[in-house]
Amino acid sequence: MAKKHVDRAVLALLIVMAVLLFNSTAGYTGIALKTSAKYVQFLAVSIGVLSVIQLGFNIFKEQPSVKLKLTDNMGRFVGLLICLVLFAAAFETLGFFIPAAIFIPVVAVLLGYRRPVVIGLTTVGVLIFVYLVFIQLLSVNLPGLEFLGGV
Amino acid sequence: MFKKSLLAGIVLSLGLSTAVQAGEYPSKAITIVVPSKAGGSTDRTARLFTELAEKNYEGFEFVIKHIPGSGGQKGFEAIARAKADGYTIGLNFTPQLVAHIVSKRAKYTLDSFHVMGNVAQDPGIVAVPKDSKIMNMVDLAAAAKAGSLTVAVNGIGSDDFLAAKSFEAAAGVEFNLLPTKGSTEQKAGVLGGHVDAAFMNLSQMIKQHKAGDARIISLLTEERDSHLPEMATSKEQGFDVQMRATRGFVAPAGIDAAIQGQLDDMLTAIMASDEFKANAAKGNIFLLPQSGADYLAYLKGLQADTQAVYDKAPW
Amino acid sequence: MFEYIQIVFSFEALLTIAIGTVAGVAIGGMPGLTATMAVGLLVPFTYTMDPTMGLMLLGGIYCGAMYGGSIPAILLNTPGTPAAVATAIEGYPMSKQGRGALALKVSVTASFVGGTFSVMILLLFAPFLARQALAFGPAETFLLALMGLAGIVSIADENSSLIKALIAGLIGMIIAVIGTDDMSGSLRYTMGMIELIDGIDFMPALIGLFSMIQMLELAGAHSHAIDTSLIDKQNKREPMPKGISKHIALGSGTGTLIGILPGEGATIAAFISYNFSKRISKVRELFGKGNPEGIAAAEAGNNGCVGGSLVPTLTLGIPGNSVAAALMGAFIIHGMIPGPELFNEYADRTYPFIISMFVANGVFLIVGLTFAPYLARIALIPPAIMVPVVSAFAVLGSYALNNAVFDVYMMIGFALGGLVLKKLGFSLEALILGLILGPIAEGGFTQGMIIGHGSPMIFFESSIAKVMWVIIGVLLIPPLYSYLKSKRT
Repeated sequence: MAKKHVDRAVLALLIVMAVLLFNSTAGYTGIALKTSAKYVQFLAVSIGVLSVIQLGFNIFKEQPSVKLKLTDNMGRFVGLLICLVLFAAAFETLGFFIPAAIFIPVVAVLLGYRRPVVIGLTTVGVLIFVYLVFIQLLSVNLPGLEFLGGV
Repeated sequence: MFKKSLLAGIVLSLGLSTAVQAGEYPSKAITIVVPSKAGGSTDRTARLFTELAEKNYEGFEFVIKHIPGSGGQKGFEAIARAKADGYTIGLNFTPQLVAHIVSKRAKYTLDSFHVMGNVAQDPGIVAVPKDSKIMNMVDLAAAAKAGSLTVAVNGIGSDDFLAAKSFEAAAGVEFNLLPTKGSTEQKAGVLGGHVDAAFMNLSQMIKQHKAGDARIISLLTEERDSHLPEMATSKEQGFDVQMRATRGFVAPAGIDAAIQGQLDDMLTAIMASDEFKANAAKGNIFLLPQSGADYLAYLKGLQADTQAVYDKAPW
Repeated sequence: MFEYIQIVFSFEALLTIAIGTVAGVAIGGMPGLTATMAVGLLVPFTYTMDPTMGLMLLGGIYCGAMYGGSIPAILLNTPGTPAAVATAIEGYPMSKQGRGALALKVSVTASFVGGTFSVMILLLFAPFLARQALAFGPAETFLLALMGLAGIVSIADENSSLIKALIAGLIGMIIAVIGTDDMSGSLRYTMGMIELIDGIDFMPALIGLFSMIQMLELAGAHSHAIDTSLIDKQNKREPMPKGISKHIALGSGTGTLIGILPGEGATIAAFISYNFSKRISKVRELFGKGNPEGIAAAEAGNNGCVGGSLVPTLTLGIPGNSVAAALMGAFIIHGMIPGPELFNEYADRTYPFIISMFVANGVFLIVGLTFAPYLARIALIPPAIMVPVVSAFAVLGSYALNNAVFDVYMMIGFALGGLVLKKLGFSLEALILGLILGPIAEGGFTQGMIIGHGSPMIFFESSIAKVMWVIIGVLLIPPLYSYLKSKRT
């Protein structure tokens, strides 16, 4: 995708949002009509006007067609994202420690790291650190092994 | 405490569990859900209880879990949803507990809970800036009739808001209501003279009142309060406006009666102890011990009152 | 006073302060762990401690955490606290040039000066200043937020598109609108999700927009090793830049003053100090490309807030920010209700607590200066190890804030959306500034309108307000003028 097209699409989206936002303030009730609504309207008008100006610049100014490149290495980029989402999804049931013990080595290998000793030590180090700081020091309730019914 | 339970978890996961035997309660730590941030008054109320419970009752361990947000709604829902096995109980605070039901936001009703009992309270008050001409509730009503008064309340649907609405109805006036984010902003508004009055809670203003930085003009309780005995109630001054915040214990409905009974008795016994009372006084927590049945009746009454306000002016 | 100093200089007290401060630096340095959270969680823990020791521990955490946020901001472009975002703007480019050690030195020195100055003010003038600060009402709070938002123009001018920076700031402010409308209690744009009732927390956004994006970029980059020859040059120990003290002094004063005022001061203070320093700098063109002056002002500014925020907290019971609010809980738990009593009846606890914060500032200064050359080598850790570790902390930090997995998804969402915006030239610093200051601006505006009975004149009436408009003008007009001039040519 060309960068300028994405840029235009984002700006167009913002303009649509600005209009929707402005219209939504009609639904405010009571004192909010005289207070919050004014604030939100101001935001909507400002972002709408600025987006229109920027879109104008964008269309009428000659621009070299550059591709929008989010990353140089799509495989690693997407891989990290997928691992992150899986980590989050596993958090509720498995807690922090088990998913993290898998996540850190997997991502390290994914990014091309090949020294098992360093990976292992780092993983264990992080887990111990988190255990000490979060659980022992701050007594944060990280979801743990609840699915086993034991904690 | 946590180390032990983590170890227990590991032991269990290895299939070597023999420690847990049926019929032995508690076999693990009991989670207390606190529906607000760590270090707040609800948290401190919970710790007052757990400190003595762990000391005086062998085998009982408690873990406090904070679920702040949405005026306690997230935490209340977590308690209502929790497995009724006696290993999760929680704190509630009013009037937010019932206000969420009345405003149809809550996914629970009072029936979702077994009410264990009330612990603490905080009377509603009306405070004005120190150099205000308003000396009492009659002045307040008169001033509000003469011209629009800016009155700070801690958010829409809060106890302060309900009290202010109830005063408006009783005195036949209308305030220029200023909803703030938290009592700190109210305090700053009164101390700085940016508002004409504020509906608040006693613990938030008692020191400022005594230091002369602000003036409390009325208590919104049935009777006078021992912490400020010279202060007349609103009822004495001719306006029947009553509001107090309460903080008590609830459990998800449906816990085995024997286990629930054990927990209820424990709460009653601890609240009756002198050590508990001394700790509460030190921590600026005003006690109001109430049995589960009494507190449930109070909650039901409060819900009906709140409903009446909501029906007139929904938020 | 001498007896109070004696209490602080007992072995036990010094050890407590040192532990608190070092823990604070670590907490501030980790994305997702905030001083507010740490103090809040440790308040009950201090319940069983000697009150004075407990307070010293928490005070150390507060001082340490405010400084700690700057370390990852400089080294990894991942600010540990929102107040360190301005530091990252200058610090990370310095790191990339191999001047990380110098950036760290400037940051710790400025933090020390700012922190010490503000505690001095707290010790000497607290009751007087707190009364003055009461004149600062919602209308003035609104103007203060505007002053902070003026920083957007400063981030943008000269190197990137001003319009896009403004749009980014507005996007942040609009995201902040989601949640409960404080005025009516009704829900705005929450799409029926209970998680959104309180709005979008800025911490998952901060972690997503900075830490996570940085990791995603590192993961996808071809070669990411920083040139080691540059790092080796660091060992030659670059001296402190000349004329930096002016910027530190400016930040210290600004930060302390803003800290005393209500509202989340540290972020505003850092950005306003940064902005001021850019205006007075002789090498303005170097801002955004690694100018130590910006770090000096921003760090002195946010640490200045520490002492400042305790002024109204201790004297009036009006906490200046959320950390101060959590600290107030620690006072109350020991029966010390803020007010005049703290300075007479409980003077033997309050004064040692205040004095202990001088020690805390000294502790992080020593730690920071000693470890700066070693910390700078963090930038040399291979990305393949750095990325999974920082990502794991990003996930954990987002979760731990509210014990909600929803916030983790939010963080990932911000990272993805933010990356697209960043590639299109929108400033993420402006976005986060809008997100943090939006609610303060809205609160000040709506409350001001109510107090003014619907008339916007309230924003111009008080003499404080008039002075603030002048400052806003000074901050806005020169960069706008130079922007328009550059457009025309």
